[in-house]
Amino acid sequence: MRYLWWLVRSQWPRALRGSVVGTAWMIGLAVRPWLIARAIDDGLRAGDTRALLTWVGAIIVAGVVVAWLGIMRHRTMTFLREDATARSSQVVLHHIARLGAVLPRRVPAGEIATVCGTDVSQASWALTMTGPGVGAVLAYATASVVLWSVDPMLALFVLLGVPVVVLVVGPLLNRLQGVDTGYRHELGILTSRAGDIVAGLRVLAGVGGRDLFARRYAARSQSLLQQGYRVGSIMSWVQALTVGIPALFLAAIVWLSARMAAEGQITVGEMVAVYGYAAILSVPVWFLLEGGFMTVRGLVAARRIIAVLRVQPDAGAAGPAPHGPADLHDPQSGLTVPVGRMIGVAAEDPAAAIALADRLARYVSSEVSWGGLPIAGVDPAEIRARILVADHDSYLFPGTLREVLRTRHDVTDAQLAAAVHTASADDIVESLPGGLDGQIEARGSNLSGGQRQRVRLAQHLLAEPDVLILVDPTSAVDSHTEARIADRLHEHRTGRTTVVIATSPLLLDRTDLVAFLRDGQVAAAGRHDELLETEPGYRALVARDAAEPESDAARVGALR
Amino acid sequence: MKALPVADRGTVRRSVAELARAEKRSLILALVLHVAAAIAGLASPWLVGRIVDRVTAGAAAADVDTFALAIAGCVLAQILLSRTAQNVGNRFGERANARLREDFVARTLRLPIAVVERAGTGDLATRSSVDVATVGNAVRQVVPTVLISVIRLLLVVVAAFLLHPLLGMLILAGAPTTLAVARWYLRRAPQAYLAEGEAASELTESLTATAEGARTVEALRLTEERIREGTARVARQWQTRRATLALRSVFFPVVEAGYALPAAAMLLAGGYFLSEGWVTLGAVVAATLYAQQSIEPVDHIMIFLEQAQRGVASLARVLGIGLVAPEPRGVASAPPGQRLVVRGVRFCYAGGHDVLHGIDLEVRPGERLAVVGPSGAGKSTLARLLAGIDAPREGVVSLGGVPVTDLDPAERRRRIALVTQEHHVFIGTLRDNLAFAAPGATDGDMLSALVAVGADWYAELPDGLDTELGDGARALNPADAQQVALARLVLADPHTLILDEATAALDPTTARRTERSLGAVLHGRTVIAIAHRLYTAHDADRVAVLADGRVTELGSHDDLVRGDGAYAALWRSWHGDKA
Repeated sequence: MRYLWWLVRSQWPRALRGSVVGTAWMIGLAVRPWLIARAIDDGLRAGDTRALLTWVGAIIVAGVVVAWLGIMRHRTMTFLREDATARSSQVVLHHIARLGAVLPRRVPAGEIATVCGTDVSQASWALTMTGPGVGAVLAYATASVVLWSVDPMLALFVLLGVPVVVLVVGPLLNRLQGVDTGYRHELGILTSRAGDIVAGLRVLAGVGGRDLFARRYAARSQSLLQQGYRVGSIMSWVQALTVGIPALFLAAIVWLSARMAAEGQITVGEMVAVYGYAAILSVPVWFLLEGGFMTVRGLVAARRIIAVLRVQPDAGAAGPAPHGPADLHDPQSGLTVPVGRMIGVAAEDPAAAIALADRLARYVSSEVSWGGLPIAGVDPAEIRARILVADHDSYLFPGTLREVLRTRHDVTDAQLAAAVHTASADDIVESLPGGLDGQIEARGSNLSGGQRQRVRLAQHLLAEPDVLILVDPTSAVDSHTEARIADRLHEHRTGRTTVVIATSPLLLDRTDLVAFLRDGQVAAAGRHDELLETEPGYRALVARDAAEPESDAARVGALR
Repeated sequence: MKALPVADRGTVRRSVAELARAEKRSLILALVLHVAAAIAGLASPWLVGRIVDRVTAGAAAADVDTFALAIAGCVLAQILLSRTAQNVGNRFGERANARLREDFVARTLRLPIAVVERAGTGDLATRSSVDVATVGNAVRQVVPTVLISVIRLLLVVVAAFLLHPLLGMLILAGAPTTLAVARWYLRRAPQAYLAEGEAASELTESLTATAEGARTVEALRLTEERIREGTARVARQWQTRRATLALRSVFFPVVEAGYALPAAAMLLAGGYFLSEGWVTLGAVVAATLYAQQSIEPVDHIMIFLEQAQRGVASLARVLGIGLVAPEPRGVASAPPGQRLVVRGVRFCYAGGHDVLHGIDLEVRPGERLAVVGPSGAGKSTLARLLAGIDAPREGVVSLGGVPVTDLDPAERRRRIALVTQEHHVFIGTLRDNLAFAAPGATDGDMLSALVAVGADWYAELPDGLDTELGDGARALNPADAQQVALARLVLADPHTLILDEATAALDPTTARRTERSLGAVLHGRTVIAIAHRLYTAHDADRVAVLADGRVTELGSHDDLVRGDGAYAALWRSWHGDKA
């Protein structure tokens, strides 16, 4: 509620205007029946042409004024809602952009999509209550006064009758929504089945089974058809009754007012006007009913928005980082990353290597020291600015290739070209329509696995961190390309600290030093060719033709 | 990218006419009932008019009761008639919808896969979801509402016409301006609303991307970047919504102001007719009430016009799928042999240069052939030609002497299977996900297929083969999903397998696990492996090196290494030998 109130308060002049215009519009709706009544009584019945002309003119003018009020109301309310939508979107945007790695752990991505896609706009719709909602109450009061002046008894009947009719019909409509929800849910499932078939067309083309899927879809569609018949049967009753019950009420009013007219209590014109008021009074009552639903939905939506806004980043330390590049040391594995060198880490268990990377960049709590300082005490912003883990989960945001690659603003075209060259990604630039200005879809979904990996590598190189930790940077590229990347990577990172986590001999051969990790501990360290000679375990891991370790045996068996 | 076709107006009209013909009886029934209901609805103003005349003539209160009762009777009749009419209409709508969506899926399944790939699955996915839903909504809600409104409007005019012909004409006093502004609006609205919808989904996508990539946002310090990007999307949404609001700001007031015209005209003309003694006061009152009654149907028609227009546009896209020639049935009968032969094959993608320049290759039954080469050498293209998905521009790919593209697609798939990086787990049970590969496979067959590919996670499934997978149900990780794909192959049992970098999209750990499961599938089959890892080549019987669309080297691994060509150089560097 406080959130919705904030949305209103931050644009209160607009909300106020909405109320005024909304009220004026609703009252305006009641003017036409009154004018028609006057035209009938003073003009037609009296045979007074002047009066008739005056009232007819008034009807046309009133029509224009009401139309103007109507659109002003709609415009004001639309601006009110859009302002609220934009405000909510901005608040959510700023919050999730700052949260970082905490967010996926606390809130599933689907939740964010619902909050942004549905909840934000539902919260805004609740604001509709502020304009026409207030107007509805006032319009109702005005109509009461007018009706009262015609006849108090008739007024009571109409004023009490209209809400009763709406309250009877409203739940009927709700029930319709309930039945329809089940149907729509099933329809949604059917739609996702069709989408599923489209997504799997290539599989079906490769393996077969199309007829089976067509038959299965048709069977589900037919069962939905039966459900549709049932919903349709209920729906037709509801539709007929929502029109019929108010019509019956109107008939009762006609009967009452006609008797009064016959007895001379009211005029014929007034009788027609009462008929008109009864029809028009339902407008404010409907508004209130719908406004009520919207407010309830808006409150639920606001609560979900608040839930996202409440997620807070992990409380970080604010200590200083070492001045300039410094060694990293991980006591848990015994690994030291020397400044300015490129070291390789070959781990028997890939998970241990990934855990090591997370410790070095303090994505998890760690004992790592950085230039002698415990990294746990360093300001997280400093760590992010200087230590970068380039892993496979790294997300590619949509945009042109140039935008994707340039995560810093001071990147020159020459630097861009150099990174693309190092990552051996020149062919991607060439094959992409538009080259560097070609579009990359979210997650790089319009790239192949190998292309994605090379784009990420170029991107991470361009971030130019003090320490770059590359996790299996070439696992998805062909051997020719891998060889080229291995050659160029060392030169590109000359003088800066780089950790390459990999088991590829092509990559490890080009590092200054290799640490061989067994059971999460550094078991041996040295140059690649030294380790090949001295460490049978290392040789088994990286060179595939030597003594066959467990996983290799299986792989070779796979092709023999 | 070659977009999928969209049906032209003629095709849409024909298909609607066809649908109407098939449902002629229920359509006519609905129409008759709606007309009857609307007539019952129109009786009220006429009766009110009669009351006015009686009252003016000085009737007693009791005299009025009969008319009031008649009004109530008409309303009741209207309720019953319109309920039945709605029900008939709803049933028709449901049937039409079921037929449209089933046709769409059946036609989609018959699309040649090359056409789908060229158009991209995005377009097809939109048609299957958004367009089918839009058409469905139109058939279910818009068409009935517009139909009823048109009937009611026509009858109101007729009723006023019966009171006096001139009064009938005057009901339409507001029509010219309303029609003119509607034309103006409809010409602009679809695009504006389309832009609005796009802007909204772009904003949601942008925010979702920011959330999904939150760790990357932190790692690459993209916070400001993402805020700028998101703010731009918010601004764009605001802008598109202002554009539609601007359209409504013209459309709504003109239509609404027009609503006063019929009543005004009716009163004015009524005054004159009355003074001339052509009509009674009751007739004028009734005609004025009719004029007021004409507002609602016009309002409904105006509200739904835009949706109706969108429905037609979507229908054109849904029907467009039917314009693609379905995948041809084969012309040749099944070949006896298993020998795959490539002779002088050249190939180019539509309008491009040749990517294969005369390939000659013979794959011996039962052998393992590895195809290696740098990216862009044409390896994947060759794989598609071997699998018969594309036909060569020149030359021939034959299986047992029969060109593969002449084989019936189903026959061909039973013999040659192509496994790519893509794997897809269908929504449904694990059994559904396996059974389609081999109709008639027993549970036992499926279980042994799962065991063969090393899908040990099967034991943890709560309901075994009946476990629901995908879309909100249990999600399989990429390696498990790939194992399901491999189990399908075991069941389908083709004699020749083409592996196109089947594990390249997986992370290294997962790739290793998947490769292990491959062994079971490859056993006893001819295998052509497109590989980017050299150990695959090392383990194969023969290696073909592809460069720039030509086979540059062909032979066993040992021969090629001894031959000291490009392959040998690569092998040594990869292997870590400094020699």
